[in-house]
Amino acid sequence: MSDTVLSNRIYGAPGRRALTAEQVIRLTGLTILTLMIGAAVFGPMLLAYGAQEIVCQPFATPSAAHLLGCNDAGQDILAGVLTGGRISLSVGVVTALLTTALATLVAVGAAYYGGLTDQLAMRVVDVIMSLPFLPLVIVLGTFLGASLPVQVLVITLVMWAQPVRELRSQVLSLRSAEHVEAARAMGGGFAWIARKHLLPDLAPLIVPQFVRVAHNAILIESSLSFLGLGDPLRKSWGTILFHANARTAFLTESWVWWILPPGIAIALAVVAFALMGYGIGDDKTPRADRNARALDDVEKEPSDGILSLQHVSIAYRTGQGTVPAVRDVSLELRQGELLGLVGESGSGKSTLGMSLLRLLPPAGKITGGGVWLDGENLFSAEDARLRALRGSRIALVPQSAMNALNPVRTIGWQISEALRIHGRQGGAAQVARLLQLVQIDPSRAAAFPHELSGGMRQRVVIAIALANDPKVLIADEPTTGLDVLVQAEIMALFAHLRTRLGIAIVFITHDLPLIAAEADRLAIMEKGVIVETGTPGDLERNASHPHTRALFASVPRLHAPRIWQRGPHAGDRILTLENVSMSFNAGFAARLRGARPVHALRGVSVELRRCEVLGLVGGSGSGKTTVARLSLGQYAPDNGAVLFDGKPLHRASGTPVHMIFQDPYQSLSARMSVMEAVAEPLRIAGRTCKPADIATALRDVHLPDDNVFLNRRVGSLSGGQRQRVAFARARITRPQVILADEPTSMLDQSIRLEILNLLEDMRRDLGTSILFITHDIVLARHFCDRVAVMRDGVVVELGQADDVALNPVHEYTSRLIEAVEHPSSARIS
Amino acid sequence: MVYLRIVLQYAAVLAVALSLNFALPRIAPGEPIDFLLPEDVLVNMSPEEHAQVMREFGLDLPLGTQFSNYVSGVFSGDLGTSVSFGMPVWDVVLSRLPWTLLLMGWALAISAIVGSVLGVAAARLKGGKLDIMSLVGVMFLGSAPPFWIAMLLITLFSAHLGWLPSYGAAPLTAMPGSWEWVSGVALRLIMPVTALTLFQTANILLTARSAMTIALGQDYITFARAKGASENRIFTAHAFRNACLPIYTNIMIGIGNLVGGALVIETVFSYPGIGSLIVEGVGARDYNLLQGVFLLATMSVVLANLAADLGYPLLDPRARQA
Repeated sequence: MSDTVLSNRIYGAPGRRALTAEQVIRLTGLTILTLMIGAAVFGPMLLAYGAQEIVCQPFATPSAAHLLGCNDAGQDILAGVLTGGRISLSVGVVTALLTTALATLVAVGAAYYGGLTDQLAMRVVDVIMSLPFLPLVIVLGTFLGASLPVQVLVITLVMWAQPVRELRSQVLSLRSAEHVEAARAMGGGFAWIARKHLLPDLAPLIVPQFVRVAHNAILIESSLSFLGLGDPLRKSWGTILFHANARTAFLTESWVWWILPPGIAIALAVVAFALMGYGIGDDKTPRADRNARALDDVEKEPSDGILSLQHVSIAYRTGQGTVPAVRDVSLELRQGELLGLVGESGSGKSTLGMSLLRLLPPAGKITGGGVWLDGENLFSAEDARLRALRGSRIALVPQSAMNALNPVRTIGWQISEALRIHGRQGGAAQVARLLQLVQIDPSRAAAFPHELSGGMRQRVVIAIALANDPKVLIADEPTTGLDVLVQAEIMALFAHLRTRLGIAIVFITHDLPLIAAEADRLAIMEKGVIVETGTPGDLERNASHPHTRALFASVPRLHAPRIWQRGPHAGDRILTLENVSMSFNAGFAARLRGARPVHALRGVSVELRRCEVLGLVGGSGSGKTTVARLSLGQYAPDNGAVLFDGKPLHRASGTPVHMIFQDPYQSLSARMSVMEAVAEPLRIAGRTCKPADIATALRDVHLPDDNVFLNRRVGSLSGGQRQRVAFARARITRPQVILADEPTSMLDQSIRLEILNLLEDMRRDLGTSILFITHDIVLARHFCDRVAVMRDGVVVELGQADDVALNPVHEYTSRLIEAVEHPSSARIS
Repeated sequence: MVYLRIVLQYAAVLAVALSLNFALPRIAPGEPIDFLLPEDVLVNMSPEEHAQVMREFGLDLPLGTQFSNYVSGVFSGDLGTSVSFGMPVWDVVLSRLPWTLLLMGWALAISAIVGSVLGVAAARLKGGKLDIMSLVGVMFLGSAPPFWIAMLLITLFSAHLGWLPSYGAAPLTAMPGSWEWVSGVALRLIMPVTALTLFQTANILLTARSAMTIALGQDYITFARAKGASENRIFTAHAFRNACLPIYTNIMIGIGNLVGGALVIETVFSYPGIGSLIVEGVGARDYNLLQGVFLLATMSVVLANLAADLGYPLLDPRARQA
């Protein structure tokens, strides 16, 4: 495939340039179908005879008057084929319309309501899909009588199940999408969410379902008619073939004009639908990284590192041309060194890291420079040599270790494979040794990846990387997405392995505080360039580059003076959780699914006062998000009470509680305009929304309020801008309580404090109380007035923020603080 | 626990098929008795005879009793009497079943093997002109109605070339079990199996190709490259092992389609399986026979799916628990 085709497949065709192969295929299908519909609609009008008229000798051969000859009854076959198209095509299209509408309704309903409704609907779908559909259609058709409506009905009845199954799984993933969650949190009901969020996102997925049903319906109709179950009074392509078969036309010369044309018509119509659906809804992004092509060798400048990067440049092909991602980067890694490669999103740090193994996404290309491992240039190495070096001398701990393990192989097999590839013994003893190295019980070798926790999977990946005693390890965001305490464990493991094995490590991360505590040296990357290198201490005290200074300045310190100073408040209680317990998967539907019950909260009591910021701190699974959901009124607690202003919380009470989500890339629908996104909570509540209010809300969060910006798609905004939009729509409701679920953890370090300032503005201006959910106890100490530390659904410590963070009483609180302050001192649990 | 749920699931399918069978003659226009006796008999019946027939078939009993009688009848092998054959439905069906199984067995095996091999090969050539051309070709094959392909096969190989017999399943003149009989059966299998296979192969080929493409895009493939694995190893030990899961599922779903396909194909070749039986049943308005065949077809598909589902956890460790 040529480069343009490749890049078009990845990025979509740019502008009005040449069509992609897939678009050509789809257009061909559309053209064929349009021509066929045209022929079926207008063709019979142009002919002198109707399809049922007896106009010639039975079995007449083709002639100028009868281009396709005549059948056994003396009817013109061409007229039959053209008229038959009307029946066959309309059965296909009508059935497809009915089926897709029914399937969409059931899928959206089942996935939206979930629980027992969903289970029941899906069991019905399973049952229908297990019935052999053609015999079923035949039996139903025979009993109900042969007619077109019966055909359409019966085909619909047996065909709706499969699209339901496929659409439901899509709706399920959409439903748990955060922008849908956000709409629910604002009080949106089924109608609003289905109309504004689910259906628009689902539309592109419904198209292929429609196409496939139409395709199958035409085939089934032809089979039914062929078996004599068609409407006896109307001709379809299938009935023509039924008569031809009954007269054994295939044994005579008449097959050419009697059997061929209707069959070709069916095949063409079905193919047209298949072509139209080609490639729609496929997962087309080839994510896996390919071997980048070898470059010419270049002269190496003298250097002393074990790994030496010199003038490395990398570019990505996009629809708009080539975009540089890494520009002229030179870097040395010394024996046994832990080098932190730190940068924000889009800085090129991961691209640079993966290029060291010459593994780049298909659109990426190394455009210059060299990487020398022990004096050998990796960029110019032959493929076979490169494979021999990968995993043996230079190894990778990839991003998203969750998915880096093959789900159908045992971890023992995968560790053993790493050894065997490089010609070493991969027996049980060697596997056990490596598992012990990463502190996993060797008896787990027979386990599959899904049976391990996230932290254990990450350690297995590390064991694989270390299998052949590499000199250099590239760790690409190895702690991202893990729980705080597990992050610390992994950090501790790296520190331990480094001292024990003397490996040099390039540690790629966006988490400056985490790596600054451990690294020998940091390299700060911005926009494809390394702007500064130095020891963490040096960089923190005297950075010369403004980006480095901004990064360090944005990290809150445990023992520094408070960033947000507030006077004492004596507000009364606004939100109270009284001895609340809550468990999931305890219902009948969950047991049917085979899920185990989870006790998310056990006797939690907290109270939020007016104008106060209460921090809820804990690792994943501690129950903090459940507290937020209960405070929104989304769940009712199993035990205890959730009180708002002294009264039980009702969803109907307007929007006194507003939730701000963690990930602004997901909590706002990318399709909406800024104006729609900001106005959404008011529209859901059925309140009027004045343009002036929207403008004010946007100004309050320091966003432009002109028409151009108001009409921009949320999808075209940066992460920081999106989170500001999320704040604007929180402000517009003038909420009494804000639930902020890690509102800055997905944002780049350098803009986090600004975003928190907006939250503080809102508290000050509107007197809003804030429930601030975070895993970062140091940040909570600065931003919150009081802090509640949660673990396994229980509040283990509650007090003034400074007291809890500086003089922790509970052992779990101390561990959370240690995990941030001295990650490598963590012990593995 | 997994297995219990799977078995329950299919028990439900069977229950639905039974209820459907029981309900159909009762909800369709007319009386249930209309579906039990030939029309000419019905027309000439006196009210007394009518009442007696109703009693004989137990149609005067309460619905609940009728249903339990029906179910216990089915489980004791009583599917009623076929009007057109004048024999118990069960006996008629049993005499035809082996031929259909023979036909479907070959079609299933050939389409599974050829489809997955070609699909995996197509994934290897993915993106090239050859790949796209072959895809379009395969789509056309998969889109042509199998009974039409069957008719064209007869025209070519029987009418014009005279190589293959176009009628029946076995030579009428040969002794069953003799060499002549076996070779005759084999010759008569070629065309129906081909027609049935073409359709199914196209389907499996497309699944295999897309399953391989998806597997090759996963993160564990990148990690395998970073381990130093060769492209061959990545293709077989990692991508193909994972692609096996959707391919297997698709082959098993195909069994249901094959039953439908066999039904139509048998008609074209006058192949004496249950497919042509159902068509004969439709022609003769032999409702008992239709219901019996439908029940049997459902039972075989349910059994095949049950076996497939029970086998799936062997392939996918993630399906073994919960």
